[in-house]
Amino acid sequence: MKIAVIQFPGSNCDLDTVYVLRHVINVDAELVWHREFKADAYDAVVLPGGFSYGDALRAGVIAAYSPAMKHVKEMAREGKPVLGICNGFQILVEAGLLPGALLRNVTLTFICKWVYLKLENDRTAFTWKGRRGQVLKMPIAHNEGCYFNDEKGLRELHDNGQVVFRYSNARGEVVPEANPNGSLDNIAGICNLEGNVLGLMPHPERASEPILSGNGSHDGRIIFESMVEFLRGEAVATAR
Amino acid sequence: MGTYVLEVVIENKPTARDPEGETILRDLMHRNGFEMVRNVRTGKYLRIEVEAGSSEEAREIVFRMCNDLRIFNPVIHACSIKEAGRK
Amino acid sequence: MPLLGNIEVDLTEEEVEKVRKILGREPNPVEAGMIDVMWSEHCSYKSSRPVLRILPKEGGRVVVGPGYDAGVVDVGGGYVAVFKIESHNHPSAIDPYNGAATGIGGIIRDILCMGARPIALLDPLRFGSLRSPHSRWLLKYVVKGIGDYGNCTGIPTVAGEVEFDESFERNCLVNVACVGLARRGELVLARADKPGDLVVLVGGATGRDGIHGVTFASRTLTGKSEEERPAVQVGDPFTKKLIIEATLEAVRTGAVHGLKDLGGGGLTCASSEMSYKGGKGMELEISNVHLREPDLTPFEIMLSESQERMLFIVDPKGLDKVAAVMDKYGLPWRVIGKVIEKEEIIVKFRGEVVARLPTKILADPPVIYREAGRPRYLDELLNIEVPPMPKDLSATLMKLLSSENIASKEWIYQQYDHEVGVRSVLKCGEGDAAVMRILGEDRGIALSSDCNSRHCYLDPYGGGAGAVAEACRNIASVGAEPIAIVDCLNFGNPEKPEVFWQFKEVVRGIADMCNALNVPCVGGNVSFYNEDEVTGRAVKPSPVVVALGVIEPLSRMVTMPFKRQGDEILMIGETLREMGGTEYYYVIHGVEGGKPPSVNFEREKRSLRFILEAARKGLLKAAHDCSKGGLAVALALMSVKSGFGVEAELSCVAAEDMRLDELLFSETHSRFIISADSSHLEDIFQIARKLEVPLSRIGVVCEDGMFTLKFRGEPVISCGVEDMTSAWRSTLPNAMRGG
Repeated sequence: MKIAVIQFPGSNCDLDTVYVLRHVINVDAELVWHREFKADAYDAVVLPGGFSYGDALRAGVIAAYSPAMKHVKEMAREGKPVLGICNGFQILVEAGLLPGALLRNVTLTFICKWVYLKLENDRTAFTWKGRRGQVLKMPIAHNEGCYFNDEKGLRELHDNGQVVFRYSNARGEVVPEANPNGSLDNIAGICNLEGNVLGLMPHPERASEPILSGNGSHDGRIIFESMVEFLRGEAVATAR
Repeated sequence: MGTYVLEVVIENKPTARDPEGETILRDLMHRNGFEMVRNVRTGKYLRIEVEAGSSEEAREIVFRMCNDLRIFNPVIHACSIKEAGRK
Repeated sequence: MPLLGNIEVDLTEEEVEKVRKILGREPNPVEAGMIDVMWSEHCSYKSSRPVLRILPKEGGRVVVGPGYDAGVVDVGGGYVAVFKIESHNHPSAIDPYNGAATGIGGIIRDILCMGARPIALLDPLRFGSLRSPHSRWLLKYVVKGIGDYGNCTGIPTVAGEVEFDESFERNCLVNVACVGLARRGELVLARADKPGDLVVLVGGATGRDGIHGVTFASRTLTGKSEEERPAVQVGDPFTKKLIIEATLEAVRTGAVHGLKDLGGGGLTCASSEMSYKGGKGMELEISNVHLREPDLTPFEIMLSESQERMLFIVDPKGLDKVAAVMDKYGLPWRVIGKVIEKEEIIVKFRGEVVARLPTKILADPPVIYREAGRPRYLDELLNIEVPPMPKDLSATLMKLLSSENIASKEWIYQQYDHEVGVRSVLKCGEGDAAVMRILGEDRGIALSSDCNSRHCYLDPYGGGAGAVAEACRNIASVGAEPIAIVDCLNFGNPEKPEVFWQFKEVVRGIADMCNALNVPCVGGNVSFYNEDEVTGRAVKPSPVVVALGVIEPLSRMVTMPFKRQGDEILMIGETLREMGGTEYYYVIHGVEGGKPPSVNFEREKRSLRFILEAARKGLLKAAHDCSKGGLAVALALMSVKSGFGVEAELSCVAAEDMRLDELLFSETHSRFIISADSSHLEDIFQIARKLEVPLSRIGVVCEDGMFTLKFRGEPVISCGVEDMTSAWRSTLPNAMRGG
């Protein structure tokens, strides 16, 4: 089993993601320069966080035209797991693999802090090891994390079960006070119809080891472990 | 008295670099078939509706505001004001 | 300004004569321009070098001392840490966003050119009062500049500090520090020592940035007028990120023999310093330099300070490997010269020699000995009338908690990505220092920056020593052993004897404390001329100290918040009646004078040893050193950060007769507050007795939400923890709302 972590010019969390996959999840992960990425060499792909192309014009828009994205789309079509973290989520949205848009935080500032997430869909390739309603603790660090979609798009997301994570308080209540960036419906992460493509703004690679979370939790592991065991054929992903 | 619409564009001075513009030109446009684009400068756009007695007065108000409120920093920015009619 | 080589130079007549004497001839204009920039205070440190010589630079863990681009210390496990500090005060005062951003860019380059990966940034900042709209504007954009640049390059900003004081109103201080990590054998030095090696310029194109209207006797140099050319450069963190990855990858090819970034003094500085340190020279063909504007003259090319450029010294046999890396990341590169045996810099332009100078005249300019004179204000300020004690000390504490120098800085650090790199184990707000783990190892690096400019103003010697002491106390509070410091010395105009006296005294204080604590100073930066030209008012002397420590294993780490109800609270150290320069005097009474905290090297050494031993034995549940606001504020912050209340009795803490307010808010050095499990008290007292450190039990951690300090059984302060928390947390957000 081989998982690719794509490195775009300006990616920052690529090494972090490879580190966690290799040393915490104990799976074969490789850092791949975007121009050299080929779909058939890997079983899953992660688009890491960072500032690809310096976020010029709009976060993720230039990377969406990278030749790597053709291969990412192919993997998505084949049902392989495709994970977009933070800037990776922005790139997936700009490339049309996930619906909606990610706008500037309503606070107009970069926000770096730990938040709570309520797991809404435990049947995707990345969340089936979790439990619907479970509260996870993970950090966010972004400028443009405010999820937006029009009325029709939002309704479809909810109807199809494509909303995967929502910002909540420690008790799992999805309330305005828990929303750090103004995302509609407190949406922090969504998936495609098939459940094999997931994008989320929070950083699971920063929440996979107890020493980093401040309260001994390591909730980020769920996302990576779910993906690995999905590949081993131990789960069936469906968003319904 | 009327409501005048003015467009304010704040860019880096022409002799200063604009790394964002350079990145868009080089990595987005030139790499994807638009080599004929020669230059890109980025900036901030404000469309301001202001009540004034004349278009000259409106322009003068906006000019003074941009300076007094440090809407642009003359050390690094160039600020242009264009009239865009009345509301 | 005198003329040298037919151009005006910013040197004294005496210096100009020295140039002619050393060279044995008149330099041409290009050579004169090169000498002018290398002999400037900024590049040569001519005023400060004689004074800085007394700083101890060697010690057990030091690998390379100052003189190279960054201080290097051994942190165990086969790793070295590389750290440096820089200032970007004047640019930030006029363009805070780009000034601060390019300051970060510069310090990152300094670390990168050792071949180390930058892993952390610190931002010690100083502004005028928060009440001033101008200072709020500066704060807002400096923080944004640091945030945007640091976040984009993926380097976490993990620690820092802010001081607000009127003396910084027109002269803000923006200091930035960076730490890098490398395996010991992987370091690359900033020297060119193999003749035949190629000199390769990598990165951004060279333009007219930084060349300020030097006039020839007969014509103006620059094509455009000064007003059109911005004085501060625009930061480009995306290119910097590419340079970081490309440089580290190029170094791994083994073909890179030397590295240096191009900062102040541009190509002139980089080429001459690398050659001088390597004991060799360089021959450059500068028509090969990639230019932003095609008509740059040789003078302009040699003096340009365009950002994001690095000089690589490359083994000719490995050039294609290095070139492949640069091409991968899309970074322009050009071979612009070669290393030669003779110790001189030969500059050619289209085959013609346009400059030829011995490296020594460029890289080793003569120093200047300046006059120092003790300022008169010191005596006036030391003896002041003692202000009356307020009736309501609880209200006093609340006011201090919400005062600008003590209030929470979360508004700032939430704009910084302080977690990228997955190394941040002790984060902003959780302790006195940040702790960065070394991946794959059970050890970490602790970092803290400190300086109390008000103490330094009243007693430069004591303030300098105190800055080192406080930085080391912060490192020890998290369970780490301090092993080295770097310093950024911010002062006014050194040509004024009072300012130069402050500078000398501060450095003397730093040197003495470094020697006493066995913590060498492995590098630093000096920023002079931080003074308002109109009023002649200088900033308060601000020697910012960044301390680095090592913690191993990571389980030894101690954080600031109280942990559990029933835990015992103890105080280390004695409190003396030292109110001069305290936050209490200034915030409550509007007074800046009085006798500032004294320096006692033995006390400082012993209290540090105590904390480290107690931490090593796992006896500490929480720790915090006493600084601004004294012991009352220290206790209050441990309470606020945990949500737990406190019930304390302070009668045994005073070492001499003093009023209640003096006991609560004095800023005496060498003091800590710790909490521990009651079962560990015996062991803790044993260590204190052995090291002869004063230790007293002062109270317990409570769950009732009340913070109560008593004296001889009578409550003197009684506040609700929630009230204290909201007072402490809301100051900065309220001030910065709406800009």
